Amino acid sequence: MPWRLLRFALNKKHPEPRMFTHHEKLKSSYDVVIIGAGGHGLAAAYYLARDHGITNVCVLEKGYIGGGNTGRNTTIIRSNYLTPEGVKFYDESVKLWQDLSTEFDLNLFYANRGHFTLAHTDSALRTMRWRAEVNKHYGINSEVVGPEVVKEAAPMIDLSCAGHSPILGALYHAPGSVARHDAVAWGYGRGADQRGVEIHQQTEVLGIDVQGGKVKGVKTSRGYIATNKVLCAVAGSTPRILKMVDVKTPLYIHPLQAMVSEPVKPWLDPILVSGSLHVYISQSARGELVMGASLDPYELHGTRSTLDFVEGLSTHMLEMFPFLSKVKVMRQWAGMADMTPDFAPIMGMTPVEGFYLDSGWGTWGFKATPVCGKTMSHTLVNDTPHPLITGFSLDRFRNFALTGEKGAASVGH
Amino acid sequence: MKILTCPLNGPRPVSEFFYWGEVRPMPDPAAASDDEWADYVFNRNGAPGVKREWWCHTPSNTWFIAERDTEKDLVLKTYFYPGEE
Amino acid sequence: MRLPASSGEWIDRSKPVEFSFEGRTFKGYAGDTVSSALWGADVRVLGRSFKYHRPRGVLSLANHDTNALHQWGDQPNVRADVTPLVAGMTLTAVNTFGGLADDKGRFLGKMARFLPVGFYYKAFHTRKLFPMWERMFRTMTGLGSVDLASAQHTTPKAYDFCDVLVIGAGPSGLSAALAAAAQGADVVVVDENAHAGGSATYQIGNDTSRRRLLAELLAKVAADACIRVVTATYAAGYYKDHWIPLVSADRMLKMRAGSVVVASGAFEQPAVFRNNDLPGIMLASAAQRLMYRYGVKPVSKAVVLVANADGYRAALDLLAQGVSVAAVVDLRPAAGSAEPQAKLLRQAGIEILPGSCIVEALPGADGLCAGARIATLQADGSPSAQIRDIACDGILLSVGWAPAANLLYQAGTRMRFDRAVEQFVPEALPDGVFACGRVNGVHELERRLADGTRAGSHAAASVGFGRASGAALPPEAECPSHPWPIVDHPDGKNFVDFDEDLQFKDFRNAVQEGFDNIELLKRFSTNGMGPSQGKHSNMNGLRILARLTGKEPQQVGTTTARPFYHPVPMAILAGRGFNPERRTPLASRHDALGARWMPAGAWQRPEFYQVAGKERLACIREEVAAVRKGVGLIDVGTLGKLEVIGPQAAEFLERVYTSNYANLKVGMTRYAVMCDESGVVIDDGVVARLAEDHFYFTTTTSGAATVYRELSRLNTLWRLDCGIVNHTGAFAAMNLAGPKSREVLATLTGLDLSAAAFPYLALREGEVAVSGGKIPARLMRVGFVGEWGYEIHVPASMGGALWDALMTAGKAHAIRPFGVEAQRLLRLEKGHIIIGQDTDGLTTPLEVGMGWAVKMTKPFFIGQRSLAAIAKKPHKQQLAGITFPVGYSGAVPLECNLVIDGGDIAGRVTSIAFSPSLERYIGLAFLRPDLAAIGTTVSIRLTDGAMVQAEVSATPFYDPDNLKQKEAA
Ligand SMILES: Cc1cc2nc3c(=O)[nH]c(=O)nc-3n(C[C@H](O)[C@H](O)[C@H](O)COP(=O)(O)OP(=O)(O)OC[C@H]3O[C@@H](n4cnc5c(N)ncnc54)[C@H](O)[C@@H]3O)c2cc1C
Repeated sequence: MPWRLLRFALNKKHPEPRMFTHHEKLKSSYDVVIIGAGGHGLAAAYYLARDHGITNVCVLEKGYIGGGNTGRNTTIIRSNYLTPEGVKFYDESVKLWQDLSTEFDLNLFYANRGHFTLAHTDSALRTMRWRAEVNKHYGINSEVVGPEVVKEAAPMIDLSCAGHSPILGALYHAPGSVARHDAVAWGYGRGADQRGVEIHQQTEVLGIDVQGGKVKGVKTSRGYIATNKVLCAVAGSTPRILKMVDVKTPLYIHPLQAMVSEPVKPWLDPILVSGSLHVYISQSARGELVMGASLDPYELHGTRSTLDFVEGLSTHMLEMFPFLSKVKVMRQWAGMADMTPDFAPIMGMTPVEGFYLDSGWGTWGFKATPVCGKTMSHTLVNDTPHPLITGFSLDRFRNFALTGEKGAASVGH
Repeated sequence: MKILTCPLNGPRPVSEFFYWGEVRPMPDPAAASDDEWADYVFNRNGAPGVKREWWCHTPSNTWFIAERDTEKDLVLKTYFYPGEE
Repeated sequence: MRLPASSGEWIDRSKPVEFSFEGRTFKGYAGDTVSSALWGADVRVLGRSFKYHRPRGVLSLANHDTNALHQWGDQPNVRADVTPLVAGMTLTAVNTFGGLADDKGRFLGKMARFLPVGFYYKAFHTRKLFPMWERMFRTMTGLGSVDLASAQHTTPKAYDFCDVLVIGAGPSGLSAALAAAAQGADVVVVDENAHAGGSATYQIGNDTSRRRLLAELLAKVAADACIRVVTATYAAGYYKDHWIPLVSADRMLKMRAGSVVVASGAFEQPAVFRNNDLPGIMLASAAQRLMYRYGVKPVSKAVVLVANADGYRAALDLLAQGVSVAAVVDLRPAAGSAEPQAKLLRQAGIEILPGSCIVEALPGADGLCAGARIATLQADGSPSAQIRDIACDGILLSVGWAPAANLLYQAGTRMRFDRAVEQFVPEALPDGVFACGRVNGVHELERRLADGTRAGSHAAASVGFGRASGAALPPEAECPSHPWPIVDHPDGKNFVDFDEDLQFKDFRNAVQEGFDNIELLKRFSTNGMGPSQGKHSNMNGLRILARLTGKEPQQVGTTTARPFYHPVPMAILAGRGFNPERRTPLASRHDALGARWMPAGAWQRPEFYQVAGKERLACIREEVAAVRKGVGLIDVGTLGKLEVIGPQAAEFLERVYTSNYANLKVGMTRYAVMCDESGVVIDDGVVARLAEDHFYFTTTTSGAATVYRELSRLNTLWRLDCGIVNHTGAFAAMNLAGPKSREVLATLTGLDLSAAAFPYLALREGEVAVSGGKIPARLMRVGFVGEWGYEIHVPASMGGALWDALMTAGKAHAIRPFGVEAQRLLRLEKGHIIIGQDTDGLTTPLEVGMGWAVKMTKPFFIGQRSLAAIAKKPHKQQLAGITFPVGYSGAVPLECNLVIDGGDIAGRVTSIAFSPSLERYIGLAFLRPDLAAIGTTVSIRLTDGAMVQAEVSATPFYDPDNLKQKEAA
């Protein structure tokens, strides 16, 4: 047992301070106001303070820390994307992830499990090869493997998928990992808090004061704050904020659902994704099977669950793993995914001076939490986009220069 | 499962329908600047609200308009496309 | 120990059932649950807790005894408290190391001091050691195990409708059903228990009038033809528009209800005191269930901790069933409305200790409950130092209720915390959803009946049956739940969440660390995250948080309730599965010819035809050779086949395809490319003009459904005077190709097949002779494969006859059926692209050399305006042909290998194959435009990293001037 646990036994009183300071009041102005205390907003605050020494910052959260998509996501972390822009960006994120627990002194349960994207058709296999080749070009560990390798990593899988869609091969990505989502938000939140950033929960942004094309302040449910810089990191609520500043984007919101089983003893190490069956699965540290599928078919700004979702997901899951028949699904839920037409994010500056956007994270943004914090804080400070995010600018739509990530992001998240 | 009312077939489960998106009037391609055109092609009114949307009842291939509150997921009415207003 | 048989019990004592648990054989009865049978056989430890591996017994008997989870063969996490006993069951407790009695995990209980709330966040995270720790955690935490060898279990699904669905067959639910039925509604009542009656089957208070009342209620329901009662089935969730899955042991019934009455009752809640988890300590309702349903004596000598009249009635029930009651401890200063019951108890010599609490349960040497340590309560609600121990082997808890409001929350009900009943009650119900009984904050029996009648009437009226009568009841006279049934203890082990072994201090510590709102608290402490999903822990958790933060419960709020109400096995959710697969009318022919199938969208197509004793590649090459040198036949029936008819049909095609169609002559065809609004290629096909106002056209196999759908929308939008018909499944289609194709076809048709009469790209309608007669056909002189050929479309029912006729007629020329692979190679030789393979989600026609098919001068087509904007910018890539030298013997790239230039990615191979006709490898590749000039040498990186060179070459590679198709060979 780690010696660090000793202090709990040796202290009469629980020897842990608050992770997040409670601030009674908002100040009248801040250098930077960050909207959204999800992983992204908190990470940006953390790096602003840590790397740039900017601490007169507040993070405004209408609910509670990590309560948006951060706390709902299925935590797949990987960098096996398709476009050079994507691959370089997510690779930087994976590198940051690896040391984050140590940096925070908080166990994020960052578990490197390996990630298989299964191909059931030869066209899928072709896309896998494309991704593998681009990945390797940038030094990322991805390769196309045959069904026998899948079988070795998950010996119990029915490679024929009940005879409907035999697995022809897979993209194997050794760095694929999962982590404990809440802890990521807490770690960034605590780190930012310790450096002087104020986190205000239960504080909703209701309007943004823009004058002459420049941000002047923010209207909140607890009063007005003056500021020249606002970072919007609100995932599924982005279009609502964009309306306040009258910035147009391609973002649209569809729900994404997921479900989790009762805990069972470990039987599955890797993360498995099937693009053809539209499902994916991993097993958490608690033994629960975390399962998901593709996006809901229509726009909705809500987080209701549907029965069709769990029915379809279970059907396909049993095609791969028939022996899960008697495992019980405990809970299902949903988040609002901020989608883009090319499945790449929208990051950086906007037509409104002082209004910065970290959005378009759809179904895939958890893994980008660290690198988004890094690059957005850089962008805010230097008022010029970080080199890693130039491919994700809002301008790309005006220029018909999309960053086509669909082949790597649709079900894979 | 949600029920949607097809103007031709009456109330049916939503799994029988295909969602296309909000009705977006196309600007005159000849008159629109490149920027205006890109705005039409890519940008969306992503904020929640009551929207006029294209839906199709797929078994019968019937296209129609639904006025739907995209926050409450409440369909206010459905009707055949009346033509450009 | 079993009690003497009593009327109304659910077990059948004439049917003993043998089963084994932890290696020992036991006997129960038909109608028992696993827990009732074990408890009846005096087994007191039914499982071990999750974290500290403490022994646990019966808690609720209501589907949240999640410490009594058993492994039954391939079934993990069987809930012993509610799973019916089956003869021959072999059960073991989950989550033990070396068996229940001897569980080596017990030592963890001793380590509790080292393992405070969230301890795992505070250690184990060095990069090197974490994987080891994680493995250990996973082994410790997972409960039951899956049997990797077990087969899929398929279950049916059923569908049903009703006017009013009543969830819960307790007194309020049954009276709701009667009221709704009386107004003429078709009513279904569902209950998770084996029998209807709800709490009325066990909350008797030794009062025969209560039994009579239930019997009458059940008789009325049974006699009502409008009511169907479904037992042993739970409503697993509430979904939009009253869509409710009713789950039983072997299937799911999806109910579409007109309206819903939620009469799901309440979960009795535990009191929190030190050692409140010792076996023998249970909810009073659990003890009553044991006695009245299963004839099992819950304990021999009980202390009853109460805070409401239900507790006094439970004590009377115990007495009536021969259990001695050592004392009744009332958290309140007086018995209140239960005074008559208290009097009866006193008369029976039972000591009643008002204004007192249990500070601690005392374990015996066997680890079971052996006594209760009782203290009087002080003015501030905390226990005094005056303590007294009372020996007992069980403590029954009757201190309050939490509404089973999960379904109400899911339906979108706004709830409000009502101090009068110390619980959340519905404040604003969604349309068509009604609540009654305990879930509605109505507890007293007579009132529950009245509340049910009201809700039933309103529910029926809401779907058009009768008039709504009855109004909400006045508030409950006495609070059924204690606001603070919690006692702190310096030594802890006062459990709030039994699933997760959370103690009072864990909450305090979590709040100290800043997790001071209900959701954060849940996530950090894991309160309510276990298999029972907070059914016995959320309410106390909320009270603790409210007290620690000085807030009202209403301000603290609840966590979000999500499906499922109880967990549902994946087999039940999956059902039988449905994987529709499309096959053309020629499928049986392909099978007979040895086809190897491959998926193409929803379709299955022959990849190639297996010739006995030959390799796949050899078979494909022979098919190719047959087409190039003789004649071949391919089934292209999976192509989308559409017609557009009407005066503005040509105008319609002008707008949806990039090329011109207004000037297409009747009897001619033209290649067609479709773009989306952003100018990206999304589909291609061939358009044929049958008449001035009548076109027949094809789409790609995978695009057929979406293209048809979108064209229909556009036609609705544009309101052109034309209509679109989808003939995809109605026509069979095949392509007869090769230099001998004309000779073969000539034997079957009277059509003039001369080049002059039926030129390249022409379409003719005529008859083709098949065995048994002539069939009408559309013939097109087109071909993806680049030989003289005919694409022949006939009604689907005649496809087989045509195929047979062509194969027979072709015998003389050694005709070969060919599959998708041969076709891919043949088209590659011609430099024809495949949408989706040689294009991707962002490819414009300009990048793939299709500028010739894009008419920028016509008034409008979809994508045109975007292409105009894009054309002003430099291309990012260009599709080009590549070749390897004849005789090249080096390694060959695979499709999607990258083109590398100056260390950067400069393109990728999209198609590549060995061309037997050209005797060299040929391919298509996207290239950076500066590399795309013919004659350029490009470097391609193989999968293993080695580099090879190819030369950019003109396409078509084969027959560049299309002579093969234009003139007779
Ligand atoms: C079911 C599901 C599964 C997913 N799986 C994966 C996965 O496996 N891998 C992966 O990489 N990604 C995944 N994602 C995507 C990922 O969860 C998100 O992209 C990511 O968490 C976004 O983080 P964020 O910090 O930007 O947003 P959030 O975590 O959503 O935080 C935004 C915050 O802003 C707050 N807010 C909104 N409006 C206001 C306002 N007006 N004022 C104040 N505060 C406001 C919200 O309350 C919220 O807390 C998944 C998403 C879902 C829904």
